[in-house]
Amino acid sequence: MQKYEKLEKIGEGTYGTVFKGRNRETMEIVALKRVRLDEDDEGVPSSALREICLLKELKHKNIVRLYDVLHSDKKLTLVFEHCDQDLKKYFDSLNGEIDMAVCRSFMLQLLRGLAFCHSHNVLHRDLKPQNLLINKNGELKLADFGLARAFGIPVKCYSAEVVTLWYRPPDVLFGAKLYTTSIDMWSAGCIFAELADAGRPLFPGSDVLDQLMKIFRVLGTPTEETWPGVTHLADYVALPSFPPITSWSQIVPRLNSKGRDLLQKLLVCRPNQRISAEQAMQHPYFTESSSNH
Amino acid sequence: MAGNFWQSSHSQQWILDRQDLIRERQYDLQVLSEDEYQKIFIFFANVIQVLGEQLKLRQQVIATATVYFKRFYARNSLKNIDPLLLAPTCILLASKVEEFGVISNSRLITICQSVIKSKFSYAYTQEFPYRTNHVLECEFYLLENLDCCLIVYQPYRPLLQLVQDMGQEEQLLTLSWRIVNDSLRTDVCLLYPPYQIAIACLQIACVILQKDSMKTWFAELNVDLEKVQEIVRAIVNLYELWKDWKEKDEIQMLLSKIPKPKPAPQR
Repeated sequence: MQKYEKLEKIGEGTYGTVFKGRNRETMEIVALKRVRLDEDDEGVPSSALREICLLKELKHKNIVRLYDVLHSDKKLTLVFEHCDQDLKKYFDSLNGEIDMAVCRSFMLQLLRGLAFCHSHNVLHRDLKPQNLLINKNGELKLADFGLARAFGIPVKCYSAEVVTLWYRPPDVLFGAKLYTTSIDMWSAGCIFAELADAGRPLFPGSDVLDQLMKIFRVLGTPTEETWPGVTHLADYVALPSFPPITSWSQIVPRLNSKGRDLLQKLLVCRPNQRISAEQAMQHPYFTESSSNH
Repeated sequence: MAGNFWQSSHSQQWILDRQDLIRERQYDLQVLSEDEYQKIFIFFANVIQVLGEQLKLRQQVIATATVYFKRFYARNSLKNIDPLLLAPTCILLASKVEEFGVISNSRLITICQSVIKSKFSYAYTQEFPYRTNHVLECEFYLLENLDCCLIVYQPYRPLLQLVQDMGQEEQLLTLSWRIVNDSLRTDVCLLYPPYQIAIACLQIACVILQKDSMKTWFAELNVDLEKVQEIVRAIVNLYELWKDWKEKDEIQMLLSKIPKPKPAPQR
């Protein structure tokens, strides 16, 4: 730890505390993620290991870089590239208005990072604004690959704070155990809508049922016809039958028609019908001229 | 994770050069002959295999643990860490990385104690001497020595693909799969990319099963055949070595020759 000077605390991660740090030689600012090892006899937590080994393989400009792993007795510190803020904090600073060119740029970068992960068969599984970092140059980077675990997504993280449901797709909420890249595409859709609405979350559910209701009030309640197999999912519950909304312009008034089209291709209840990151990057929303929104 | 092998840390950092490997082993090879050195690694690959089977791990996890073990000693003398401690540590780390779910440390230690007593008493007359704190400390050390490169590509997946392409039956797959397992008792996993190892194992299996008709199929593969032949030789050499080796009679003497770490763990 001699190499880095510990500065102020930045936040609380899935498996430990994050500090700002400074490389004593280069003066470069970094993020130091301290991994706690007390708890049980698991050793280095598998969530931390997962993050370490994935980031060692995933080198891309829209994915946060892991510079170093340091260990001193009983402590493990991951040294990450530092970004000034996360998307949630960015939203808080907006005062309810966002430049639609920024919205588009962030969305494209999110998709690029995701496409790279997915091409390496890596699912993020916990995308949300807090896990998207933003630096001064307007670059967006995917971070926190630690929460995703082998068998199911945990509902509590280390600090016993409940993991937000807002970005979870209906298939996962219904207890589907088989995760594919489509899980991240749903979350990307929710984040897209939130971006376009300057940080107002699209489906801010308070529990699983409320979350599903909020989704179906907009997209319509799925049936065996629209989503074969839905009623056989482990935690399926029959919910009131809502029709899909007719106009997306109420939901995301500032998003242009091409943007709304992309959003509707991301927010599809039936997982295998959701657009892929690779396809989404090719969507006309990203190719039209920037003055045209 | 099964991304692009050529962009992976396995390809970029852990396909080693044979000369480097020999140089790194100089210290140990002053006290052990090359054959003895390999026999020790065969023994510990067996220990890892048996531990993994007792813990009901998939072969992929066992193979990854074995590769960690070999990578560690590719950069370290046997005296740096007792292989009897490193073997279960590799199992622990591999099971977490391969998303097998978590093996509790205390369970791991219990299994080590019982396996050493029941299956390897011919090698160790005393009890398994290590406790959780040793394994946890060792895990850090292992992680550092692997330079955190934890994703290992194995020949199993390319092998499945190849056998399918050949349109061949179960028998060939079963045999070549076993040969891949055996290849973990050689240095090929440190020296060659997994798909080349898969091809070499498949070739050996075809020779054993006298599938001469497959010769043209191999000739048409877009692969460095010289490298494949090197792998074949390494594996055939292993079988030669194995044939005359009486592990039960000789292993105690070999283990006693291993340069020892100091200080020894407290019992």
